[in-house]
Amino acid sequence: MIGDVPRREQMSPASAQVGVISALFIREMLTRIGRGRLGFIWLLAEPIILSSMISLLHWLSGHDLPNGLPIFLFYALSYVPFMMFRSIVNRGSHGIQANIPLLYHSRITLLDVMVARNLMEMMVCGTVIALYMAIAAIFFDEPPHQPALFALGLLLSALLANGLAMVLGAAQVVWEWVEHLVHPFTYLMLPISAAFFMLDMMPPETRELLLWNPLVHVHEMNRWAQFGDRITPYYDISYVLLWVLLLNLLGMAGLRVARPRLSMFD
Amino acid sequence: MLELHNVWKVFESRYGHKEVLRGIHARFRRGQHVGILGRNGAGKSTLLRVLAGVEAPTRGYIRRSMSISWPLGGGYGIQGSLTGIANARFIARLYGMPLKQTEEFVADFSELGTYFHEPVKSYSSGMKSRLLMALSFAVDFECYLVDEALSTGDARFANKCLEVFEVRRKNAAMIMISHNASHVKRYCDTAAILRNGMLEFYEDVDEAIAAYQGL
Repeated sequence: MIGDVPRREQMSPASAQVGVISALFIREMLTRIGRGRLGFIWLLAEPIILSSMISLLHWLSGHDLPNGLPIFLFYALSYVPFMMFRSIVNRGSHGIQANIPLLYHSRITLLDVMVARNLMEMMVCGTVIALYMAIAAIFFDEPPHQPALFALGLLLSALLANGLAMVLGAAQVVWEWVEHLVHPFTYLMLPISAAFFMLDMMPPETRELLLWNPLVHVHEMNRWAQFGDRITPYYDISYVLLWVLLLNLLGMAGLRVARPRLSMFD
Repeated sequence: MLELHNVWKVFESRYGHKEVLRGIHARFRRGQHVGILGRNGAGKSTLLRVLAGVEAPTRGYIRRSMSISWPLGGGYGIQGSLTGIANARFIARLYGMPLKQTEEFVADFSELGTYFHEPVKSYSSGMKSRLLMALSFAVDFECYLVDEALSTGDARFANKCLEVFEVRRKNAAMIMISHNASHVKRYCDTAAILRNGMLEFYEDVDEAIAAYQGL
């Protein structure tokens, strides 16, 4: 048995990169699922419980939406993408210190850790949204208007969150106090990200002000992707892409600055 | 080849600079088995991390034309919350090894039995180091960095590690750090002493040990 030690397969840099991300992704999934058989259910149940509670509260509060928009679906489909954004930013920015042991494998970079983890988050929220959409389409005759556009919206908010998580995570390595601002920041993002209201319901001055926030564009776009012309959306994809590019470049540069500052003591 | 040119590592602490490595020059070739002796706190583990590319040197540069293992020892690079088999798969995916074969090799070599399917955090320290050695031998690195890990486990397991190493050694280098002269004598062909942040090489292991014990 000693003789047949495994030999490494020849790999291109691209497939080596895929190997690193998939190893980290599967590790993340195993860690999140845990050891129980029902772990996979809980992975989805947590966001479902949270979003359905919030949506139920709004539904019961009895405020009607214009054009007979379904209240539960309206809130659920806005809250899940926001929840994804918040959880990527919160988890991701704390992720650097927590994952230092992984960095003992020198082929794992901080960026790999971030990407694998956020991919996981996106898949969980994507599945929950697909579930809501399917239930709405089958039982309540509310088929999505342009589901592909919604998927793009989800990807854009994941990318925004990915960039922001890297920026905040790197900043935390340099200035420890940044840690204490992350949660208040994501908490305060909720009322100004148009997750729970439409820009069309706002006076024009407020609308202009809110449109500085790229997340507002994403939520407006997602709503149109679901409800179509029953609403009047305000969004500009190129503006969101500009933020995505800016935050991710800044975040990647930040990780480069942060990496040599990390001490690997145990 | 693994080459260090004037490598410095300085840590900032509350009390000012702490120079751990102060101008290391070294060259390690394939097939070489080098022991690095040093007292506690001499900077051995720091040197190993710098060699592995886990930490960047403050000054100087390192040239690597070998694939180098992660620092083996102290439980580095294994995940406590995952099972032994999940760890084996993780390493296989990470380093591009055939999945099934790696799994079998690690199961066989580590002799963990049913514990292979239990989370690593439930292992004894001997089991942990057996898993660690199995994981690292499963990947055909060209240079193994060993942090006194071979010293754990019983004599029979240590012999087994040596045996596998014979298979790997044709191409592989090993750099082993230790404060224990007898380990270095057992596993290494040449030796060096890390002292005052600098590395002194000796042609002969016995000569190095004599100098180390004279410190």
